[in-house]
Parts: sequence; structure tokens; C-alpha cells
Amino acid sequence: MAVILFASILIGSTETEMKLYELSPRKGMKQLSCLSRKIDLGSDAYGRGSLSTEKVELLVETLKSFKKTMDGYHVDAYRMVGTSAIREVRTNLITKDYLEKQTGLKMTILSNSEQRFLDYKSIALDTDSFEEIIQTGTAIVDIGGNSLQISVFDKDKLITTQNIKVGKISTREQFYGLATNNEHYEQLVMELMEHELDGFLKLYQKDRQITTLIATNRELQEIFRPIAEKQGSSVISKETFMELYSRVVYLNADEIVKKLGVSMETAICVPTSLIICRTLLDRFGSSSVWLPDVSIGDGLAYDFAEENKALKDPHSFDEDIIAASRSIAKRYKSNTAHIRVVEDLSLKLFDATKRVHKLGKRARLLLQISAILHNCGKYISLTDVSECAYNIIMATEIIGLSHADRQIVANVVKFNTAEFEYYDQLAQDSSVSREEYLVIAKLTAILRTANSLDRSHKQRIQDIKVSVKNGNLIITALTNEDLTLEKGTLDMEDSLFEEVFNLKPVLKQKRKV
Amino acid sequence: MIRNTVKDEKAVKGVIDFTDPAYYTNRELSWLDFNYRILDEARDKENPLFERLKFLSITASNLDEFFMVRVASIKNMVEAGYTGKDIAGMTAEQQLSAVQNKCHEFMEKQYSTLTRSLAPALRAAKLDLIVDHEALTDDQAEFVDRYFDEMVFPVLTPMAMDSSRPFPLVRNKTLNIGALISRKPGTAPEGSIEDMVQENLTRTGARVAGKIAKDKDVKDAKDTDLKDGTMFATVQVPSVLPRVVELPGKEDGTRTGILLEDIIERNMGKLFTGYNVVCANPYRVTRNADMILDEDDADDLLVEIQKKLKKRQWGEVIRFEYEDGMDKKLFKILKKEFGVSNDEIYKISGPLDLTFLMKMYGMKGFDDLKEKKYTPQPVPALMNLPEGMDLFDAIQRKDIFLSHPYETFAPVVNLISEAADDPDVLAIKMTLYRVSGHSPIVAALARAAENGKQVTALVELKARFDEENNIQWAEMLEKAGCHVIYGLVGLKTHSKIALVVRREEDGIRRYVHLATGNYNDSTAKLYTDCGIMTANPAYGEDATAVFNMLSGYSEPKHWNKLAMAPIWLRSKFCTLIEREIRHAQAGEDAHIIAKMNSLCDPGIIAKLYEASAAGVRIDLIVRGICCLKVGIPGVSENITVRSIVGTFLEHARIFWFENGEHPEIYMSSADWMPRNLNRRVELMFPLEDPDSAEAAKHILDIQLADTLKAHVLQPDDTYEKVDRRGKALIGAQATLMKEAIAAAADPRDPVASRTFTPAAAHE
Repeated sequence: MAVILFASILIGSTETEMKLYELSPRKGMKQLSCLSRKIDLGSDAYGRGSLSTEKVELLVETLKSFKKTMDGYHVDAYRMVGTSAIREVRTNLITKDYLEKQTGLKMTILSNSEQRFLDYKSIALDTDSFEEIIQTGTAIVDIGGNSLQISVFDKDKLITTQNIKVGKISTREQFYGLATNNEHYEQLVMELMEHELDGFLKLYQKDRQITTLIATNRELQEIFRPIAEKQGSSVISKETFMELYSRVVYLNADEIVKKLGVSMETAICVPTSLIICRTLLDRFGSSSVWLPDVSIGDGLAYDFAEENKALKDPHSFDEDIIAASRSIAKRYKSNTAHIRVVEDLSLKLFDATKRVHKLGKRARLLLQISAILHNCGKYISLTDVSECAYNIIMATEIIGLSHADRQIVANVVKFNTAEFEYYDQLAQDSSVSREEYLVIAKLTAILRTANSLDRSHKQRIQDIKVSVKNGNLIITALTNEDLTLEKGTLDMEDSLFEEVFNLKPVLKQKRKV
Repeated sequence: MIRNTVKDEKAVKGVIDFTDPAYYTNRELSWLDFNYRILDEARDKENPLFERLKFLSITASNLDEFFMVRVASIKNMVEAGYTGKDIAGMTAEQQLSAVQNKCHEFMEKQYSTLTRSLAPALRAAKLDLIVDHEALTDDQAEFVDRYFDEMVFPVLTPMAMDSSRPFPLVRNKTLNIGALISRKPGTAPEGSIEDMVQENLTRTGARVAGKIAKDKDVKDAKDTDLKDGTMFATVQVPSVLPRVVELPGKEDGTRTGILLEDIIERNMGKLFTGYNVVCANPYRVTRNADMILDEDDADDLLVEIQKKLKKRQWGEVIRFEYEDGMDKKLFKILKKEFGVSNDEIYKISGPLDLTFLMKMYGMKGFDDLKEKKYTPQPVPALMNLPEGMDLFDAIQRKDIFLSHPYETFAPVVNLISEAADDPDVLAIKMTLYRVSGHSPIVAALARAAENGKQVTALVELKARFDEENNIQWAEMLEKAGCHVIYGLVGLKTHSKIALVVRREEDGIRRYVHLATGNYNDSTAKLYTDCGIMTANPAYGEDATAVFNMLSGYSEPKHWNKLAMAPIWLRSKFCTLIEREIRHAQAGEDAHIIAKMNSLCDPGIIAKLYEASAAGVRIDLIVRGICCLKVGIPGVSENITVRSIVGTFLEHARIFWFENGEHPEIYMSSADWMPRNLNRRVELMFPLEDPDSAEAAKHILDIQLADTLKAHVLQPDDTYEKVDRRGKALIGAQATLMKEAIAAAADPRDPVASRTFTPAAAHE
């Protein structure tokens, strides 16, 4: 059938929701229904590190009813993900297993960067004006249960994303009891925020002007919805924001319930969310905050549609991941010209050997990121480049990459210069799976070859043609320059490539006339 | 112009408090006015005689319910010492007294209508209702006595009161005959009354001994309990037998009927052999039936309601009716046992419980004295569908507007029924509030579940007086595999919505039926209700959200079309009224036409007053209770209220707003009553398809033009029929019937029928 019915299930900190979509090349992505139930997992997860039995049972019951609805609609496929609350509990694997066994649904626990990337995709999908908005300085802030995620854009490219451990639930859990009254609580949260933001701003904001803040936060969305509907836009000016802020921030939860007609679960998080958002507006000097009406479900559906070619003209989010990687490379003062060439050569090699390695688009993207980041270790040490690069990559959030993705990139970069470790060795002190190991091996072989083609860092080889002939990978370089160094390096480096692909790289030179 | 003067002088200065109780009518008194309007129909000689009987019967059953629910509720308030005041500033005590006075007057008028007007007319029509069995001819008397022996006696359960037997339970709304009996001289004193009755039964061969509450331990009890040697006994007039028994006719063709209680009264002695019947008179009690469920405490709603159902028959007596001429001593006993005050006692000169008149209406013959039976017409848009086009295709092609009972309810039943069997249908969801006896809809839902479709039914158990019926259906549906939601805690689900989810070639399509009336194919023949069937995705999305909410999920982020009570509907109405106010203030024409069953929400009324004062023209068509007053200077001079009482029960709720020159029209399941807007799940939906909007507006227009059945509210709070001088005689219901017949006879809309008829060639 041309139309695919897809369900995304999101187990969040405050809410568990299922969205049903119709995906088709003709009509694109169309949301059919949204079922959601407020289940506060956050306060359990962030407060005591485990979920209470009642919460888990409520969750099971809700997921079962979701499943029933899915069955009713004859849904073709679904994705079920858990976000920070599930991720943060000590027992996350046990909880995951329990939920899966009880409900018969498979679930994935998202890493923070995957979660953020989906958030970002959802926002980007929500509006046509997104591209326009991010032309000026923009930051997406997700005020979540346990943390605050800030992603900064500059000229439509995502330049960084950082996680700050100040969340609407965790902060309340920690400080509400300490505060003498609600005014004091506001002061405490603001102080905490100031401190956390200082470091971030020094590193990333520099002279960027963040005019628009995009905030994803259920509570703010809900309490500003009447205003948004009235003005026909969910961009709230700072004046309007502060007007509601001053009316609400000192109220107790039950007063908020009465005054704003929201549920108790929402009301509890309202003051903290408001204070966090207000501090961000103040510190960024933003004049407005946009509260888009999105959830990760949209991003999941989009991902699925893209994978299954259910959409005609999908927007590629890979560019964003690449841009984010470039900005990391830039931060570690990598040699831009060298990177460009290695990146280009690796991709050409990748494409030329496709029939041999049979890797997909995602691996190609990981290769590209590896190429972009392959030099970053030098920022720390010129002698221990590989280990430093590995550590930098593992410690940096690259939006859109899962933990496993990041591990692949870090290893590929590491083995670009360090001695390659075979599976038994590699698996000893990392969680790399056999499949991932194979990807690492293939990508490393390609990156090493590409890198040796620019051994001189002088970009002597820029244009190559690649062909496979008689067990050889013939790389024909179109250049008039002397390639002795490159040829020599290639000869030294080629054993891994041969091992992995059963092809011997041979560099030939074709002089330009 | 009045409106300008008003605006300038008062409203602008803001001196008027639109919530002043002086501007409001008490809802109970207003309801009694409504019953008076029905009584007017019974008195109206222009109505066919049997229709008049029916109207009188309706006033009686209405009044029963009114006592059981409303009077009971006020009495509860009085007894609880509640000091709050109603919308019109009356305390519960003041209301109770005013209501009781008005009820006394009302019932007197009911009986004068029967005895002075209807009974003579019936006799003239050669139907004689014998109210005094002494007037029977010998043949008739013999027939009656035989009928008693064969049919009545076996099902009677006489009960007596003495020192060992307490006063028996007299069930709510049942008709009973109370008697004083005394032992015949010379009969054995040992036998208790049960033995005597038992003996009788054995003699007549009837095998209903089990019916008698036999108590062997009390054999020795003394039967003669009252000081003068008489004893109280009572027997219920069995509800399983017809109340009116037709007797062999007279030679002149006159048909004769006698009431069952007269037959029993005449044969009372047979029940108590060995006793003399000193006196025997019918009486009846109405009991408190208002149950306020403690939903927060009720873990299992179902069990709780079943408990209440049993209790209902045991409630406190709030009305005691007895036949004029009842023996004083007998009266005293009953009065004492029922614990009623003088205000609650109604002396009736005529047969008790006039609902039997509805049965008389059903007597064969007399067709010329009845309104010609109307058959609901087919819906033109669904007639002559081209080959291969089914109901779903038709709905997808165009929204379908339904106006019942002028048009048949069949398309709604068909929608569910076809959905049940359609292989592409994935799910059916609907609300069931009052379902008819053998509901084809319920059967279809069960079938759908058996066919593997996901069926969700919200069965509202709190529908007054219908719980028992609803519980049965609910359990039946559950057994068939439907997901049954037994109402929502704290809220009654009154919205009428059905959703069919279908997987079609190009994706999921949702078909929605939204209506003002219940999914009840029986009442759809009697109640005027409207509905739409649409495949508009915006409605479909909202309908899904409605059922998600009813299933306990969070509210949707936004609504496309629907407004739902209790969360959003009130503010939606206020916004719409305020918009008219702004139009008026801007000097534009501003006009609201609203049709509903009852208007008693203080917030909405105050808003209407404000609108009237601002110059908005407001025409209200309110069938029943209306707490709004018209013609108050500066407050409601721009408001008219009319009420239509006709053959069909007016039930649709339609709201039209002029909105500059961009009128909007809505339909809803909700009245402008606090209970609808605060404590019920209700829906309002706009009619955006131009044809549907026009059809609904036409109903309003025709009702505003009615000169036959409309009663118009006067500034002195009375209702008067329209002054017909110089006006065409228009009956709204009659017109709509005629129009439906004409439309069905000629459904020639080439676009709608999709069949082109070639014109004949010119010769």
C-alpha cells in the first residue's frame, strides 16, 4: 500500500504519548491521532534513580492500550523510545526489558544527542519558516525534566549543542524544599542558572546575537497556548512572557491549576520552567521566545519515512550533523584545507568500493564525520594524537549521533594513526559489537588510504578517479605535482585496506596537459 | 429606536446589574409553564381528539418525573437546611411552596380538562369511559366480573396491616386500592388474612401462592387492629394488565371502556372472604427519585448504580394522590403512613394517573380522531445513488444533513451497520446515551466487534431512568468484544457522536456523525433532532480527539471545529455572543437566533441581557424551561422567546450568529443549562457545508414564522399563542413534514443524484 501507517511512542519525563501518522509520497506526513497520558516518571527517575511500581504499572497499562489502538488501526510499523527519564534510572535495562515483555512492544532508549536531534528535526518539520528563523542567531533550548539542552545556530547551521544539568523536575526536587518561600525559590534557581550559563556563554556565544529563543517545554507551551492562539502565532514576545511570568511564578501549584486551568502535573513544573526560560531570555538578550508545538514523535516518524522512502522529497538532516562536526573541528583548530581533501577523497573511495563493502548511507555519513574530526587530537598533543582524538570525540556531543555512532567515529579516527586493533582486542575494553567492529574496520581502511593521499598536507591530490581492476584499487590522480611522498605512504599503509577489501590500492598519476 | 435609547441611557452608564435575580424566572415554575403549554394543546379544540388525550397523558407523565426529580430535589434542600437562593432569588422553602401551589392548580386544570372537555367529546365520538362501575349494564357487569376472575384475580397480591405486619411497601408511581375491611360475624377468628387469601386462591385454582408474603409465624396475630374492629388492607392495581378494559359494545356502536381499578374495586370483596369491605378507594404515591451519585466514592460505578436503582423505589413520598370521596379513616391511615404534609396531598376528582390516556390513544379505530401517522421520509441526498456508490462514498462526496423525524433515522443506523460489515473499516466509536429496546445500532456494534473491528462504546449509565436498560446493553456489548466505557467519573456524557475509521486506497478516512439527539431509533420518530454525516478530515481529527479524551487520554493541543463541554463550550458560547455585541457596538446589524430545550444558565442569560442592551437582536426558540425574562427595559427589550409544542417533541439545539455579514450556524447536544455546560460532556459543531447550514437555518426560520403552535413569552412572564390576525397560518412541524415528503418525492438534484435525464426532443 502506498500509504504507510506509522506509530511513534514516546515515554517522556512527564508524559507518555503515542502519535499515529500516515506517511505517503503524495501527502507527506500526516498526523492522524495523538494519545497522551500524563505519567510523571521524572520525579522518580531524577529523585531516587528508579521508578516506583505504580508508575511502571501505569506505564504498562498505557502502553497496552496504545498497542490496542495500533492494532485497531492496523499500523504498519512503530517506534517506541524512552527519553531522559528512562535513560536516567539505574535500572534502565531492566525497566526496558520489563516493559517489552509486558507489552510486546520493542523499545529504544535514546541517547541525549539522539533525543536532541529528534527534537530538532521535529522543530524543523513543524514550520516552513524554520529555515528563515535560524538565519539570524537562534538557540533551541529544551527545558527537560532533568537537564537543559541548548543548541546554537549560526547562519542556519547548528554549531553546538550542550547539555546543562538544570531540569524542571530535578531542580524542583533539589531546591524547592530548601527555599523559604516562592520568591526565594526563584532567586535560587536564577543563581544556579547564572552559574551554569556563564561557562556556556563564554565558550559558545561569543559575539553571536541570539535574537530568537526556541523553547521546547510542555508546560510553557500549555500555559502560553491561549495567548498563542489569540495572536495566531506561537512566538511570544518578551513583554508578553514577562507579563504572564509575573502573574504566575510565585503561585503555588494548586493556585496555578485554578488560575490557568492546567492539570496538577503541569502546574508543578510551571514555575521552574518559567524561571529557567526567563533567565535564558535575559542572558541571551533575546527579544522573543518561540514555543513550537512539537514532540519527538514527529522526528521519529520522519526518520522512519526517510528510511522507507515513504516521502517524496525528504529534507536531509545530515547536513546539520556535518555542520556540527565541522564546528567541532574548528574548535580544535584542525587544518581545514587538509580536512576538505581527506573528506572528499574518502567519500570518493567509499563510493567506488561500494560493491565490495556494501555499506549504507549512515556509514558514509560516519566516514565523513570521521574525516572531518580526524585531526582534532593534535589540539591537545602532537605525539598522542590518536588517543586524544578518541577522547575528545567520545566526550563531545555530536547532534544526531547515538552513542554507538560516536564510538564508531572515535575508533575510526583513533585507528587512522594508531595501530588497528582486531576484534578480540578491541572488544576487551569497549562495548563495540561485531557489526560495529566491521564498520570500523572498513571505514578505517578507507580513511587511512585517503589520508595517505594527502600525506604532505599540501593538497597535491584533489581530483582522483577510482577503479577496480585485477585485485587492484587503481587510484588515478590528476595532477602535475610530485607524488613521491604520497605513493610511499600508501605503500606503507595499505595492508589494512588489503585485509579488509582484498584489494591493493595503487596510485597512478595522470598529468594534466 | 429602542435599542439606541437603551444603549445610551443605561447600559453605557453601566448601572444595570444583569445578574439581578429580579431579571430571572425560577426554573421549576418555568417548567410548570411548559407543562401548561402542553396542557393547552390538550385543551385546544383544533387538535384531533385523540391527540388531545395524548397531550394530557404527557402532562401527567411529565409531572410524575418532575415530582420525582425536581420537587424531590427541592425538598431535599429544604430538609438539609440549605439556605442558598436560586437564580430568581428564591430560597428552597419559597420554591417548594410556590411549586406545590402551582402543581395543585395544574392538576385541577388537568382534571377539569378531562372531565369537562375531553370526556364529553369522547362520548360524542361514541367512546364511553365508565368511571363508576355501578353504571354498567348487566351484560357489561357480567363481563367485568368474569374478566376479574380469570385475568385479574390471579395476579393480585392483597396485603394487610396489623400489629405483626407493618405497613406494606407501596411502590413509586403504582396505582393502589386501599380498603378497610371488617370480619363478617360468625367467621372463625383464628385464621390470619393470608390464610384467607390463600384459601381464595386455591379455590380459584390460581397458582400464584408464592406471590403472597406468607408469614407462618404470625398466625396468631390479631387481625382486627383498628379500634372499631376494621383492618387496613391494600392491593396494587397490576401494571401487567391493560389499564383500560374494553367492554362489549352497545347496539348504537358506542364503544365502552372501564378502568382496571374499577374492576378490582367492584370485586374487592372476593379478595377478602370472611370480611366485609367497608370502603375501598384508589390512591397513588410518587417518591423521591433524585439520586446524586457519590462518584468519588464509587469504585465501581456499575454496582453503585444498580444499588441506587433498587433504592429508587423506596424513596420518601413527595406526593400522595387519592380519589375524591375516600373514606376519612382510610385517608388518615394513608396520610400517617406516608408521612406527607397537606401540601403534598392531592385530592383527585377523576381517575388517578392519567398516563393511561396514552394507552387509549392506542385503541384500534378512531383514525379520524388522530393525526395521520407520519412516515419519516428518505433523505434526498441518499436516494437513487448511482451503481456502486455506497453510503461512505456519498458522505465523502458531500456532507449529509439529517433532520429527524421528518427524515428517516435509517442512514445513521446504516452507517453503523455497513461499517460493521465493511472489510475496510478498522474501528467504530460512539457514545450511547439512551438506546432503544432492540437497538439495531447496538446489534451492529456487537457484530462489528465480532468481525474483528475495534469498537469503542461509551455507555452513559447515568442517563436518568434508563440505567437498567443501559447496563444490559453495555454488558452485551462487552461480551461481544467491544471496549465499553462506563461513563466518566463526575461527568455525564451527553454528546452524540459516532466515528467510523476506514482504511481506504489513499489512506485513513474518518466518517463522523454528529447530532443533537440520541442514537435511539425509536425516539428518532418522535423527537425533532438534527445531525450531519461528514468525511471532512477536520471533523474526523476532532472526533478522534473526543474519543481519546473519553478514553482517559489528555486533551488535544487544539480543536479544529468542535467545542466540548465542560471545558471549552461555555467560553465558546460567550465568545460568540460577545462577538455579536462588538458588531452591535460598531453599528452593524447583530442578530442571534438560538433554539434549545431549556435556557436556565445564569451566565449565558446575563450575557444575552448584555447583548440585548448593546443592541443585539436575539430570537430564542426554547421549548421548555426559560429563566430569561423578556421586555425588561434596558435589559431584554431586544429579546423574543417562543416555545413550540407539537406532535413531535422539539429537541434540536441550533445556534445562529449573524457575525457581521458572515453568519455562522452551530448545532449541539447541549442546552444553555448549567448542567450541560458544567457537568456534562457535550459537543457543539459548526455547519460549514453551505447546504447543511441552509437546512438548519431554514428550521429556525420556519419556527420563527410559526403562527399555530408557537407560544410567545410575554413581559408579564406568561406565554400566549401568536396573534394570528393578518398572518399566514403556519405550523412549523406540519410545514417541515410537507417539505420532507415533497423533497423525497422529487429528489431531482442532477448533481446529487449523478444521473442526467435527457430532455425529450422537440417534435
